Parts: sequence; structure tokens; C-alpha cells
Amino acid sequence: MHNLIDFLLKNSKWFLFILYVVISCWLLFSNNPYQHHIYLTSANKVSRLVYGSASGVTEYFNLHDINEDLQLRNASLEQEVIDLRHQLRIYQEDAYADSLATDSLMSQFKFVIAHVISNSVSRAHNYITLDKGSLDGIKPEMGVVDQNGVVGIVNIVGEHSSRVISVLNPKMRLSCKVKGSEYFGTLVWDGKNSDEAVLEEMPRHERFTKGDTIVTSGYSAVFPEGIPVGTVMSHAKEHDDNFYALRIKLFTDFNTLSTVRVIENLMKDELNGLSAGEEND
Amino acid sequence: MTKTVVQFAILFVVLVLAQAIMFNNICLFNLAVPFFFIYFIIRLPVTLAGGWVITFSFLAGLIVDMFANTQGMNALACTLLSVMRRPVLRLYFPREDELTNPEPSIKSLGMEVYVKYLFTMVALYSTFIFLIEAFSFFDPVRLVLRILCSTLLTFLLLLGLDNVMSRSR
Repeated sequence: MHNLIDFLLKNSKWFLFILYVVISCWLLFSNNPYQHHIYLTSANKVSRLVYGSASGVTEYFNLHDINEDLQLRNASLEQEVIDLRHQLRIYQEDAYADSLATDSLMSQFKFVIAHVISNSVSRAHNYITLDKGSLDGIKPEMGVVDQNGVVGIVNIVGEHSSRVISVLNPKMRLSCKVKGSEYFGTLVWDGKNSDEAVLEEMPRHERFTKGDTIVTSGYSAVFPEGIPVGTVMSHAKEHDDNFYALRIKLFTDFNTLSTVRVIENLMKDELNGLSAGEEND
Repeated sequence: MTKTVVQFAILFVVLVLAQAIMFNNICLFNLAVPFFFIYFIIRLPVTLAGGWVITFSFLAGLIVDMFANTQGMNALACTLLSVMRRPVLRLYFPREDELTNPEPSIKSLGMEVYVKYLFTMVALYSTFIFLIEAFSFFDPVRLVLRILCSTLLTFLLLLGLDNVMSRSR
């Protein structure tokens, strides 16, 4: 016994050595969860503290590279946002087109959704530019409306864009009527105010009240019948006294136009053919 | 005696922290890794009982392992190194009793012997650690290269450290 203790004491160094080697090897080669015990990895409190304060200093060294990376990432993300917005707009257009009522009256018409890319309201002759053109099926003489009412008529068409004569343009003459009656007149802009226009040539014997709704007459091939235009504000006599001129408050807010519908009349050629025949007779 | 203990305690903390924060992140040419903290093992007094030397070495390795997430690799290498310390020292300096200062240093051993001792210890440690590492992936040429490069880098670093230490004292 005495010898054994002596032996142990004498060789304590080697026992320690073997113990440590065994512990190290156990740590090194075992893959059980104890090996990855939190105290033995950099996840422990002390390491966290030390690494935390060290990185507090060293993180400044890498700021330049990090900044560059962030700029690159930012650029790519921005590109992605633009792409996604573009896609979203396409889907929105589809959804918008699907949501439109297609009753029998409207079935001869087709809509193309377009976005206003330039617009004016303050000039004497106002025009609107759309982001769709002949490749999207837009042709001259097509009517343009938005969710509120009449906007104008397509005038010039490019491949990817088109110019619209706004209602706020003296060149534009639109056949309109008071909703519920059959008397019609011509809507023109008097150049004064971007949300008002004048409905001329209304028969004098007819009575109109303030607030009556004015809609398109449907007598031209451009707009279907019944598209809202505005409401009656007041009426004034015209020079020759046979007709009234009604001041109309327009439904369409020309200052905030964004998405519009371009109306394609599928029967336009047929109608034009008819009226051409009339003239020939 | 107390002074020496405090000195070595400070040396232990400083070296291990330096290894954890700085030198663990260095890998020159993807080959050379500096093992800065083994300076502690190299400098431990010769008169210190073998058990303590092994224990301190093991602890130093274990703590570095904690920071580096190398499970037991440094601990094992340090333990092995601590055992090799005495024989290496005897190899170059057989007359141990003639030491003026129990700490191995340029002053106590003389330049030539100390450099040999230092180089051998560093080479041993590098060999140990990369052999242990080679258990997980083995590539002989790269292994030898890594051992050589790391030995050189650590050796130079520790010589520099020696210079700084001997001047400050």
C-alpha cells in the first residue's frame, strides 16, 4: 500500500499528463453533445465578452469593405424593387381589366389599360401622353377614360406611346347628353378652369337643374353611351338665344391622372362604313 | 515568489487573450498560423513541478480552444508540449543546476541555447497541432508546408516578444 502511494506520488506528473491527454482526445474526437458544451466553445459568457469588446474595436477596420458591399447589395435590391414594381403593375392592370363590367352594351368595346406619363392642365391646348402605343393595340381616334369619367381621345400613336387630346383642349368636341333625357349638346373646354367645361347647343325649351349628370351620348364611335362626364353647375344663355350653354363640373380630376383605359370600339369600322355610305347617298 | 506568480498570471492572461483576439485570425498565405500563447509554456520556470507545468499548459490550450472553437486541439498539443519541455531543455543545456534564473530566457541560457530551445519547442508545437488537425483532413505536402511556415512565423514572433520582454524588465 505504501509502495503504491509512493508510486502514485512519484508519477503524479504522468498521471496528470495521461488525464489531460485523455480529456483533450475526448474533446477532440467525440462527437457527442457534451463536446460542444457551451462552456467549451466560443458561445460562453467570457468569450462573448472578450470577442464583443474586441470586435468593438476591429469592426471599424472593415467598414470600408462593408460599406462597398452594402452599396452593391443596395443597388441590386433597388433593381429588384423596380422589376417587382413593374411586374406588380402588369398584374394590377390585369386585375383592373378583369374587374370591369362587361354588359351587352359594352361588349362591342375593349379596353387597354395605360399609364399617363405626361400631362398638362394649364395650357390653352392640353395633351396627355400615355405609355402604350400601336404595339399594345392603340390606334388614333380611340376614346380614353379613367375611373371617374372621360379623359380624351387618342390623337397620335407611336410604337410604345401615344398622345391624347385632353378634354381640356378646345380642339376636342364631345357629344354629350343629360342623363335620362335624349337632348344632346357638345362639350367644349373654355380654357378657364381645369375642372370645368361648357356643354353648348342644348335646346332652350328643355329644363335643366343644377346637379344633373352629364354623360356621353354614344352618337360617335369613340365613346360608348353613358360614360360619366360631369354635373351641371349653372346655365347661361347663348348669343343667339335658341340654345343654352351649360357650365359643367367635370368628374375627371385632370391634375391627378394616372391609370386610364383606352377604349377600342370593335364596331368602329362598321359604323364608319355606314356613315360613309350615308354621305355617298 | 509572489511576484513571479503574478507576473506569470498576467503573462498567461495577456498571451491567451492576444491569441484569441488577434493571432487566431491570422493565417499568412493560408499556411502560416502564429501560436503566440505557447510563449507562456516556454517561459515557465524549470523549477516548477512537472504536474503544474502540465496543468497550466493544458488550461492555456483549453482556453484558446474555447475561443477558437477547436475542441481540445490546442489543449492536447499544449499538454504534449509541456511534457516535451524538460527533455528539450536538457538536450541543449544538460547542466540544469547551473541555471542562474529558473526561467528559460536569453539571459539564463545564453543566446544560442535559448534560440535552439525556442525553435525546437515551436516546431514541436506546430507539428503536434497540425498532426492533430490532420486527423480530420490529410494532405501531406500541405501539412509539412503548414508546419514549416507556422514554425517560422511563430518563432520570429516569439523572438520579437522576447526582445520586448527582456527590455521591459
